[in-house]
Amino acid sequence: MLRYNKIIKLALPLVIVIAGCTKLNESLNSRLTNQQTSTALGAQGTGLLLKAAYADIAGTFSSQDQVFSLEENTTDESLVPTRGGDWDDNGVWRVLHAHTWNADHQQILNVFNSLNKLNFDATNVLAFNPTKSQAAEARFLRAYALYYILDLYGQFPFRNPGDNLLNAPEVKAGADGINFIISELNAIIPDLPADNPITAATPDAANVLLMHCLLQKGAFINRAAPTFADADMQQVITLGNAIINSHKYSYTPNYFDNFSVSNSSTSKEAIFAYPNQSGVNTNHANIEARWMMTLHYNSYTPDNPNAGWNGFSTISDFYNTFSTTGVTTYSRSDSTLDQRIGHRYNVNSTPYSGIRPGFLVGQQYNEKGDPIKDRNGNPLAYTPQIAANMIETGSNLEVTGIRVVKYVPDFTNGGKYYSGPAGNWQMLFRYPDVVLMVAEAKMRAASPDIPGALALINGLRAARGATAVASMPLVNPNNVDDPSTLLAERGRELYWESFRRTDLIRFGVYLKTWQYKPTDDPKNLVFPIPSQALAANPNLKQNPGY
Amino acid sequence: MRKKLLLIGLFMFCCIMQSIAQQRTITGKVTAPDGTPLVGASVTVVGQKSGVTTDNSGNFSINVPANAKQLSISYVGSETKRVDITSASSVDVQLVNTAANLSEVVVTGYGGTSRKRDLTGAITSVKAKDFNKGVINSPDQLLQNKVPGLEITNNSGMPGSVTTVVIRGNNSIRAGNNPLYVIDGVPLDGRSARPSVTLGTGGFGTTPDVNPLLFINPNDIAQMDVLKDASATAIYGSRGANGVIIITTKRAVSSGTRLEFNTSFSTPAGYMKKFDVLTASQFRSALKKYNLDTMSTSLDNGKTVDALKAITQSKLSQNYSLALSGGNETGKFRASFLASKFNGFIKTTNLDKYIGTFAGQYYFLDQKLSIDFNVIAAHTSDNASLISSTAGSQGNLISSALSWNPTTAFTDNNGVYIYPSNGSGNPLALLAATSDETNVNTTLANISASYKILPSLTYKFLYAIDHSAGKRNTNINGFLKGYPGISGLGFGAISDQILTSQTFTHTLNYITDFNKLHFEALLGYEYWKSDFANSSFSASGFNTNLDQMNLVSFPYTSILANGNTQNAPSTYVDPTTELQSYFARVNLNYSDKYFLTATMRADGSTKFGKNNKYGYFPSVGAKWLISNEDFMKDNSIFTTLGVRGSWGITGNQEFPAGASQEQFGFSAYNTAGQLNVANPNLKWEQTTSYDAGIDFSFLKGRLFGSFDYYNKNTTNILFQSTAIQPAPASIYYINIPGNLINKGFEIGLTGSVIQKPDFDLTLGFNIAFNKNELTNFYAPGTKNALSIVTGQISGQGVSAALSQIITNNQPVNEFYLKPFGGFDSSGNQIIGANPVYSGDPNPHTLFGANLDLRYKKLTVNINGGGAGGYVIYNNTATSVTNIGGISKGRNIDLAAYNSKEKTSSGVGVSSRFLESGNYFKLRNATIRYNIGNIGKYVKDLNVFVTGTNLFVITKFTGFDPEVNVDKTNNGYPSRSIEYVPYPTPRIISFGLNFNL
Repeated sequence: MLRYNKIIKLALPLVIVIAGCTKLNESLNSRLTNQQTSTALGAQGTGLLLKAAYADIAGTFSSQDQVFSLEENTTDESLVPTRGGDWDDNGVWRVLHAHTWNADHQQILNVFNSLNKLNFDATNVLAFNPTKSQAAEARFLRAYALYYILDLYGQFPFRNPGDNLLNAPEVKAGADGINFIISELNAIIPDLPADNPITAATPDAANVLLMHCLLQKGAFINRAAPTFADADMQQVITLGNAIINSHKYSYTPNYFDNFSVSNSSTSKEAIFAYPNQSGVNTNHANIEARWMMTLHYNSYTPDNPNAGWNGFSTISDFYNTFSTTGVTTYSRSDSTLDQRIGHRYNVNSTPYSGIRPGFLVGQQYNEKGDPIKDRNGNPLAYTPQIAANMIETGSNLEVTGIRVVKYVPDFTNGGKYYSGPAGNWQMLFRYPDVVLMVAEAKMRAASPDIPGALALINGLRAARGATAVASMPLVNPNNVDDPSTLLAERGRELYWESFRRTDLIRFGVYLKTWQYKPTDDPKNLVFPIPSQALAANPNLKQNPGY
Repeated sequence: MRKKLLLIGLFMFCCIMQSIAQQRTITGKVTAPDGTPLVGASVTVVGQKSGVTTDNSGNFSINVPANAKQLSISYVGSETKRVDITSASSVDVQLVNTAANLSEVVVTGYGGTSRKRDLTGAITSVKAKDFNKGVINSPDQLLQNKVPGLEITNNSGMPGSVTTVVIRGNNSIRAGNNPLYVIDGVPLDGRSARPSVTLGTGGFGTTPDVNPLLFINPNDIAQMDVLKDASATAIYGSRGANGVIIITTKRAVSSGTRLEFNTSFSTPAGYMKKFDVLTASQFRSALKKYNLDTMSTSLDNGKTVDALKAITQSKLSQNYSLALSGGNETGKFRASFLASKFNGFIKTTNLDKYIGTFAGQYYFLDQKLSIDFNVIAAHTSDNASLISSTAGSQGNLISSALSWNPTTAFTDNNGVYIYPSNGSGNPLALLAATSDETNVNTTLANISASYKILPSLTYKFLYAIDHSAGKRNTNINGFLKGYPGISGLGFGAISDQILTSQTFTHTLNYITDFNKLHFEALLGYEYWKSDFANSSFSASGFNTNLDQMNLVSFPYTSILANGNTQNAPSTYVDPTTELQSYFARVNLNYSDKYFLTATMRADGSTKFGKNNKYGYFPSVGAKWLISNEDFMKDNSIFTTLGVRGSWGITGNQEFPAGASQEQFGFSAYNTAGQLNVANPNLKWEQTTSYDAGIDFSFLKGRLFGSFDYYNKNTTNILFQSTAIQPAPASIYYINIPGNLINKGFEIGLTGSVIQKPDFDLTLGFNIAFNKNELTNFYAPGTKNALSIVTGQISGQGVSAALSQIITNNQPVNEFYLKPFGGFDSSGNQIIGANPVYSGDPNPHTLFGANLDLRYKKLTVNINGGGAGGYVIYNNTATSVTNIGGISKGRNIDLAAYNSKEKTSSGVGVSSRFLESGNYFKLRNATIRYNIGNIGKYVKDLNVFVTGTNLFVITKFTGFDPEVNVDKTNNGYPSRSIEYVPYPTPRIISFGLNFNL
């Protein structure tokens, strides 16, 4: 009995300890749960969620391997040749230009995920009692993401705010999809604050997106043979004219000021843009990739090697669309050319380098005007010809391909932010796009207004120092890079701004051959649903042919 | 209060007086078979816990109760002997060597011990005398090649390198394959407080972490027990699936006080094995061979340099260790101090350690109450260099050295560093421009009280706190040219990390005998909590140190606010992890012939979803000691023979906390957003394992060993599935009902070949075979095999390339590469279009061998081992020393030079760079001479010289086939990829030790 008592005495504290034990509720410490978020942040919290959605634009639309890559490297505007040891990357770049990708392509998956993250973050704002304008901005951002997802993948998954993320969401495709986006935009435009800065959703930005939707609608419904409903064209014209006639925007005298480090103030064309600040990493869009990806290691100054990644190039046929006369060599001092090609402008633009914006071909010079050499000691003189299989193996592998510098390198603070974080704002929608869309709609209308279209086009051309044209067909189906077409005009104005693939599909020539893309297949009009996404959501249907 | 203390003191004094009054004293001497005195032999009164140890002459003096009948005398490596003291006051004891060590005590966790002979589970115990010798930076290195089935890979040659420790095969597809470490009853967190730094700017990448066990003084460890099968590990439940390593530190074993001192000095003696790039003369021949000697700007710059040599140093390292211990029957203490300054093989790198420990064990209330405490206070300080596992060609010191043009001087005539524009960094400029110092302070303190309620029943309470704080200052001077974001700007970052874990354990131990049945039971409750937080501040755009010729002495981190680009500070507090456990163990021993162990543990964890908070982990093990049966009595072959079998379930919860809850995070500039897809159904990953073993000894115990077969099946695999878009993240955690199978067998053999008074020779050998395969690995609800690709390949031209796959019917991390088909007529690589399964990176065979020889006072210990049946991917050869580099004036590797490849050949990831990993490494060899006593005070003086990593036999062309550079992708680890690692040096050390 004594023994028993002793055990009880000693075991008692043990029992008490066990009984007083933890419920094992996990405390997240530096994170909040859903419930805590809405109560802790209140109304202001929704604003923070909205800002996070805006910040999603940064990586998705500026990195060289995201939306830009799928929209540009698949076209006649851009390609990334493998240069000896550089840019092989298991062939990811070459298959994009050659149109030989498959559903396991890493970039195709990454873009799907990043656009859908924007889709999610924008939708999530709606679950936290937004104000009317916050809701409108969030729905604009969601529409912006959905438009690109529909454009690239032919369908988009859609969740309502607060949906269980473990369940597969519904999917909208084709006409359903585009009509949904259009109805969303129509619904929110009245609620968007007109006095928002260009870095946030405004009625103008939403109208530009709506114009893109209406113009592209026929292609979303039938990519092989897009048709253009007159009502849609008329609405594009109406929306565009409203923007033009508001006189809020005008052509920036120097084309490349739209892309310079001070473009936030010098560009008069910006309608929607993503802000960057020199030397600030936070929420920075790595805009410097736009010049780093194309420039040569020795482009900057010999004291600072590795000033470029020596990759992205364009094809010579596209380059030649800048001349209506078919002249293929342009001199550095040529004064009769379209200013959008670069060359004459910003000669020795800074004391730091001789890099000039625009298309770079031929010998490159440093800040003193002395010729630069490549790493093999040969002259750094870019040549238009690229190896047929896009794999450079010769001693000239560092200099093949015409390079494109659209964003002018940031040389503020002595060039310290040349390789980042650079301060150029990223242009997402620009005024000339509106003008060209109106012109295109006028040509595509049931009763085309050709003179009206030409007036708009020639107005733009005049601003760019190009001669007026007497006629301009929409497209030449036998020559994608026929310089006399509206497609070429869009290319000259909007090259490397992530519109080209969409344009080529709408103009019906995406499957035509061009340099380094000898064949094609109708399935390529839309990207495959990434294998991983397809496995996760049974409501997604793989696109035909994949 | 003071009065109360006084009373207690008085009371205790009385107790002591009373006990002394009833005692008598026994003296004696303990010797080895050859008559040499055994120092530190343990002498206890049979039936009592406390005792004394023999002094430096082998003498002891013990106070025993008047009625004490027997003394038990034990010594490591000898048979424990009982001597009768009923009528004696002085006894001399000669102990017999036992090679078999089957009566050695094996630690089974939660205060449990067992004689090796009686074990039902697969536990390998390694005692201090058998540890690896030479330069040991972390305790796990003590065990390398010593334990069958235990794979310990130094990830690189960095001082204090992380080791990959795998027990019986790769058990998890995620990171977190390391076993659970338990030090003196305290389970460790496994993470380290050393901040990890990823240098996005400059392309420098992430520098490797260091070993989380550096705070333990290897000299303090008495033994390490490796728990391998479920019967042994299931008592650790949810953290036991990867095996458990129990570290027991030395306790005072002395009557009187004792001082041990040892010191050693070491120096690197060159590369254990060089990565062969071209010498300057070979480089010149290569320029001719590839017609590069006629270029307008010559690639031959006329000098002859050896960059691999230029980055190394042979600086003397010092190591001083002192231990003080003392006590008597009622209490004992041990204090130790270690100061070591270890200079790395690569210039500017070092690892300094200062560790103090204080441990004691005191008895009260007639030895019914025992208070144990152990405090470790450690300060470690290391300087790392830019040897990151993810950097491109330039941002890594080793790649810069490998690709450095051997005809180019590092500096011009004015001492200004030369920066080639060929993609190779200047290794000496990198060394000069960087400093990356981390200080980690760790305190591990535990106190336990155990009270003997009844002679057969003991209650024990343990509290432990493990607090570790690390601070890292990373600086890269802006004078370094050619690094975007660094050049002309400079970069400084201050990172902090704090890890605190606490353990509360209550146990009740019951031991009794019913006739022939010996019964032990353990009942316990444990609460474990771990907190982890980090923060970092960084800036660039400084005004100082932008000109190499004009440097100031203080680093950017001392003036961080001066940088004009302040990056947003990052702070993160990990969700608190809590574990609450109930456990029980029963041991039965019937007649020393039949043994049974059963354990059960219930673990609750904060990491798991509402519906699955608790997991249950049972195990059972049995043993039949055949040699104790009557029918075996007359056999002349076996000294001992036992068969055992076990079954059990263990768990794994090593994955990021917070995955079961929806989390909203706050980011820079007032943004907030949802971060994850929550899964409230998450539960434990569980491993079911079987083990069957035979323990045997022949020839009067001179040859002994064990054989084990095991089969482990891991299911409910915690897996990052593709999130269903639109979603806040691309992946989320779920449990997959696949099976990860590891099966194999292990043999350990030790033979005491010669046993003579002047001459001993012992040989040991162990080998283990393991087969690893993932089966039924399907997407939930389908028969579509899942595939995870991982194993990032780094370098220019191979961005985003991955090399390994985790998929159905393949070993984890199987290489998945495009096949290499030789070279075409123009000397370009022919690489197949689609990847195929290309080889297993997990060793199929592990082996170790040791030789211990003693001739009179001279001893020689040689330890070595290796691995076989696996392949290594040589990422260095793929993208750093590939042939294309030479046309830009970069150095290339000899293998490429000797191949038919031409310089136009592109870079490509393919099976070409898979190499056999098979190797044998002579880990260490020691020659020691026992000078003996000198003068009146110095006892047992030994001098020794040790060679570490003396040689390696392998076909692998990289620095070291024992390599595992971290090439994790999306949280899935890689295995056996080499990419410009910190090279392994050969090290010679010498030293002495003695006692006072």
